[in-house]
Formats: sequence, structure tokens, C-alpha cells
Amino acid sequence: MDSEDDMHDANDVDSYEEDYYSGDAMYSDDDDDAGYEFLHNDSDDSDDVLISRQQKNFTILKEDDIRQRQEDDITRICSVLSVSRDSACMLLRRYNWNVSNVHEAWFANEDKVRKAVGLLDKTTYKPTKARELPCGICFESYLLDKISTAACGHPFCNTCWTAYISTSINDGPGCLTLRCPIPSCGAAVGVDMVNMLTSDEDKTKYQRYLLRSYIEDNRKTKWCPAPGCDCAIEFDLGSGSYDVTCHCSYSFCWNCTEEAHRPVDCETVSKWIMKNSAESENMNWILANSKPCPKCKRPIEKNQGCMHMTCNPPCKYEFCWLCLGQWSDHGERTGGFYACNRYESAKQEGAYDESERRREMAKNSLERYTHYYERWATNQSSRQKALADLHQMQTVHLAKLSEKQCQPETQLKFIIEAWLQIVECRRVLKWTYAYGYYLPEQELAKRQFFEYLQGEAEAGLERLHQCAEKELNTYLNEDGSQDEFNNFRTKLAGLTSVTRNYFENLVRALENGLADVDAHGASSKTSSSKNAAGTSKAKGTKGKGSIRGRTDDSTGWSCDQCTYMNSKNATSCQMCHNSR
Amino acid sequence: MANSNLPRRIIKETQRLLSEPAPGISASPSEDNMRYFNVMILGPTQSPYEGGVFKLELFLPEEYPMAAPKVRFLTKIYHPNIDKLGRICLDILKDKWSPALQIRTVLLSIQALLSAPNPDDPLSENIAKHWKSNEAEAVETAKEWTRLYASGA
Ligand SMILES: [Zn+2]
Ligand SMILES: [Zn+2]
Ligand SMILES: [Zn+2]
Ligand SMILES: [Zn+2]
Ligand SMILES: [Zn+2]
Ligand SMILES: [Zn+2]
Ligand SMILES: [Zn+2]
Repeated sequence: MDSEDDMHDANDVDSYEEDYYSGDAMYSDDDDDAGYEFLHNDSDDSDDVLISRQQKNFTILKEDDIRQRQEDDITRICSVLSVSRDSACMLLRRYNWNVSNVHEAWFANEDKVRKAVGLLDKTTYKPTKARELPCGICFESYLLDKISTAACGHPFCNTCWTAYISTSINDGPGCLTLRCPIPSCGAAVGVDMVNMLTSDEDKTKYQRYLLRSYIEDNRKTKWCPAPGCDCAIEFDLGSGSYDVTCHCSYSFCWNCTEEAHRPVDCETVSKWIMKNSAESENMNWILANSKPCPKCKRPIEKNQGCMHMTCNPPCKYEFCWLCLGQWSDHGERTGGFYACNRYESAKQEGAYDESERRREMAKNSLERYTHYYERWATNQSSRQKALADLHQMQTVHLAKLSEKQCQPETQLKFIIEAWLQIVECRRVLKWTYAYGYYLPEQELAKRQFFEYLQGEAEAGLERLHQCAEKELNTYLNEDGSQDEFNNFRTKLAGLTSVTRNYFENLVRALENGLADVDAHGASSKTSSSKNAAGTSKAKGTKGKGSIRGRTDDSTGWSCDQCTYMNSKNATSCQMCHNSR
Repeated sequence: MANSNLPRRIIKETQRLLSEPAPGISASPSEDNMRYFNVMILGPTQSPYEGGVFKLELFLPEEYPMAAPKVRFLTKIYHPNIDKLGRICLDILKDKWSPALQIRTVLLSIQALLSAPNPDDPLSENIAKHWKSNEAEAVETAKEWTRLYASGA
């Protein structure tokens, strides 16, 4: 029982960075306390990127940076090996642009390296005294000035060279290892000949391949997979988390190049993506943007990011987009447990014959997948919406609000922070559904703990999203009083930090494989009142321990105004000073 | 006429193929299309194809010599690198093609392939398997096919 305090309870935020929201720190220009910083993209400051201040283990390279690095490496090889730029380029490409590997190989056995790359010693080529030479491709004879050769001296006319090199360039990146047309020769044809003999268009393509090779053949660099982005990321191998965020604000996993998927591992992500494409035909309907109102049956369109739907008047029924349940059942005021995230398979009662059971199982397995997929996909689109809203906020609304409320934009940063948090939380939440799908059903304790954490995080996020989306709107459209706006500020900033805390708990718990469950036998703590009431068919549930529900007076109380979870001996809300 | 602007190289190659043919190989252009060649290759001695006369077609695409000629067996042949449509698995006809190679070199390479089948780089999976599991028997089948389908006439 005493282990209760050891558990990472998502509600337990009393001691969370007091000074973050209690003092003036968060409104100052000094971002240090926030633990986050804004990077300004020099082209457009709406591309603010949230960069976690944990040690950055990657470097973003823009196209110019890449060229510069490539240039530097080539120059280094030129001077150390005393070879031409053309040769240095081919050597580097051969050794995957690793300067020290080139050095090592070259000084270990220069002849072997020359042979492998096709760098002949110029001295082996004896110039001819003839005035004309036959071209080895078109068989015509040409004056020497119309003939070119690689280091080997095999003569081909310039027209044939142009066609030869151009064919190779248009065939793909293989052009970077082009050799003399005589198959037994092997002399390299490098950038010098390309520049001398091909069209501007082909030169550009060749340069492009060279640049790509610099990133793609290098073990430490990868392109940012975002469409239209030309940046690459250099990653410090063996330095922990693979999540990286590019200048373009796209976050992805450096290891598998899928979008960032903490806290889920790469393997789960690839399984999930395969599953999704296998089931895509069955799932199309989920991506539809409207559902019938569960009460009046009229279709209602989802045009906001949060899951709280309100049907059009006169119906005005409030329900949850995901489970179509009444919204008030999801609220913190019911004392209920946010349970919309949990999959409950259809009850299997009565006698089944074998074929019926099979059919039922097939139906259930699709139903189960549908449950997780829908939540995954909806959080994804919700995130897209939040990104668009964030952008809108940065480019239009902030200035407007600053004017209406007579406050400098720097004082409104809390709104941007809220939106950045929403975007990040939607991403995490989305992946927790892939996690949940693959969490073995028989690991009951883990499942319950997971669903509890996920439910808490999700409920927190819904509150935050709704506050940033709907409540903020009122201040954009009418002039609320200064006081009201300040209350709103406190609430939104509070929700932002509380939600961040929920999600940090969730990510931490999932990343260590819900190990706390094994360590503390947490199943007793995660069985909610709802659970005990019998919606779960859980067999071995202990079901006795009480969870720190929001209305549980023994551990704390939830603020009526801002929903912040206060410690039990606080007489007024720590967040908004509303009295209990 | 389609043949009027035939590149000098093709004309020269054709002349040489006709005037000094490689041993065991004949190639002559079709009358109405100088880019299309009727080819005959004699089965090399000491190979399962010995005594056979194999007909092939060879076509020089517009991009020739920057692109490889297209060659195909017309005579049925039991060989791990040749499939039942007569297509040939030979590196110089694909990625190892170079404009410095010629029709003559291609045909000599095909002739060499008949002497040295390579079941490790198969085009015909079944024949290659046969070749690897029981070479003697596969060679017998190849001889049989040579008698049946390539006995000249
Ligand atoms: Zn030429
Ligand atoms: Zn050469
Ligand atoms: Zn990018
Ligand atoms: Zn990954
Ligand atoms: Zn309705
Ligand atoms: Zn719901
Ligand atoms: Zn409060």
C-alpha cells in the first residue's frame, strides 16, 4: 500500500517546477525557465521550432552548409594526398566521404586504391603524334582537337563523349563512378570531364548526385524527409534518442526516418505502418470528417482539433468524437476515469459453436484494430489542424490580440507555447495508440496502468486543446476585460504545464516498458472505480486500491475553474487562486 | 527510307560482319530494316549444344551504340541463362554495356555463354536448379533439346 507514493501519478504535480508559473519568470523574455527555446528561422519567423533543451545530438545542414562541408573535405584530400580535385572527389565518394578512411587506405596501399577508383598515373599515357585519330564509338576519324580522352588515352570524339556521359547521368547516380568506355580499361571519368563535355542541364544533375552522395553515402547524415525540404541532419551516432527536428519544423526519427515516434520504438512503428496499409481499405471510412450526431442523427462535421463536439442548435448535444459517448462522461467532474481510450471487446456470452466463435474473433480483431487506428488517425489529423492553428496564431492572431489587449506580443508567448505543446502532445498521444495495440492483452496490469496514464494524458490534452481553441476565440472576437484575459492567461499557462507533465510521465513510463508495473505491482492502483464497477471483464483485477481520482479528497482536489489538481491542504487553487 | 540516315558506325560494323565473320557466327541485316539482324550461332564444340544451329534476332535501338542491342534466341534452348522466350541474361546486354562494344563482341559473348552456362546467375529458375542438383542429367536434357530443336535444316 505504501508503494502508492512511489508511483508516477500523473496528477501528482504539486512540486512541478514551482517557479515556472508562480513568478514573473514565464512572462519575462528570458526563456530559460521554460525549458524550451524558440529558434528563429531566418527566412520566416513563423517557422518557430520547439527545441528541447536536452543536449542536442544532431546538426541541421542547409544546402549551403552541405556544399561547404563537401568542398572542405575535397580540399583537405587534395592537399594531403597531392591529387587533383577531380581525383579527390572520386576518392572521397569511394570511401563514403570519410576523410580519414581515404587517408588510411591511400597511405596503406596507394596503388591498390588507385586501381579500385580508376585513377591512373597520367604518366602511363603516351601522347600520339598522329594528326587524326579514329573515335572508338562512332568509328569516324577526327582531328585531335575534336578528340578527348580520360587519363588512359583511349580516344573518343567529343560528340560521343557527350552522349556517353549524358546517357550515364540520365541513368542515375551510377554516373559518379563512370569509367572509360573500353570495358577492360577502367580509367575513371570524373567531374572535370563532365564539366568540359556536357550540357549545363547535365552538369547540374551531376552536381546534384554528388551532393546527394555526400549525404546518402555518409553514415552520419540523412536528408530531412519532409516534402520540399532540402536540409539534411547530421546525427551523433550512439547518442540516445533518435528524434530530430529540422529547420522546416518537421520532426522525424533519424533511425527509421518515419516521423518522430517517441515513446514508441522503430520496430513497432514499422509494424503499425504495415498493418495500416494492409487494412487501408477497411479503414477509409474512419478518415471521413463527419459523423451523425448520436442524438439527432444529423451529420456533424469535425472542424476543430479537440474531440469535444457540440451539435448544431437546436440539438446542441455534446458528445465525444471518438466514442460518440456523452461528453459529460468524459469530464473531470464525474469523478470518472477518462476511459474513452480503452478498448473493450464485445462481451462474449452464451454458448458459441466453433464457427460462430471464429467469426466473432475475426470481428473482434478488426474491431480492436479499428479502435486503435481511429484514435491514432484522429490524433494525427488533430495535430495537423493544431499545426495550422499555430501558424495562423503566429502570423495573424497574435498581432491582433496584442492590439486588442494592449499587450506586447512577448507577453502573449504563453499562447504559442500552449499550441506547441498541443502539437507535440497530439503526436505522442497518436503513437501511444500504436503502443496500446501491440501491448499484449494478457499483461493485464501493464494494460491497466498504460490505459490509466494514457487516459489522464488524453483528458489533460483535451482540456488544453479546448481552452486554446475555443476559449481563446472569445478574446479574439470581442474585447474581454483585462482581468478576464489575465485569468485566461493563468489558466492556459497552467494547463500547458500540467499537460506537459502528464505527457512526460506517459512518455517516461512507456519508454521504460512500463517497468513500474512489475516493480510495484501497480495493477491495484490502476483499477479505477469504473473498472471495479464492472465494465472491464478483467479476471484477476484486485480492484481494491483507490486511484487518486480528481474528486478524491484524501489526496487532493480539482479546481472548479481551471481543473488544476491541487494538493489536499491547499485552500485556494495554486494555478488560478480560485478558492476551494 | 528508314535506312538512309543509318549511322556510319552501323554501316561499318555490318560490312565487317559480312566480310570477316567470326567463326561459328553469322549475322546479316534484314533487307527492309538495316537495324534488324538475322543471326545464327553454331553450338560450340564440347558443349551440350554442339551440332546445333541456333537462330537469334538482334535489333539495334535508336540510341545504339549508347544503348545495348536487343538480342533474343528464336530457337528453343535448354540453358540456365536463357528463358523460354529466348531472352538472355548477360551483363553486357544490361548494366555492363559500353558503346565501345560491338555487335561482334556481343555475339561472341553469347557463344561463350553456351560453352559456360552460369547457373548461379539464372534467368530460368527451374533449369538452373536442375543444373545445380544434377548437372549430368541437365546436360543430357540440353543435348536432347539441341537434337530436337536445333538440328539445322
Ligand atoms: Zn565519336
Ligand atoms: Zn580507357
Ligand atoms: Zn526539413
Ligand atoms: Zn524510428
Ligand atoms: Zn444533434
Ligand atoms: Zn470518448
Ligand atoms: Zn484553478
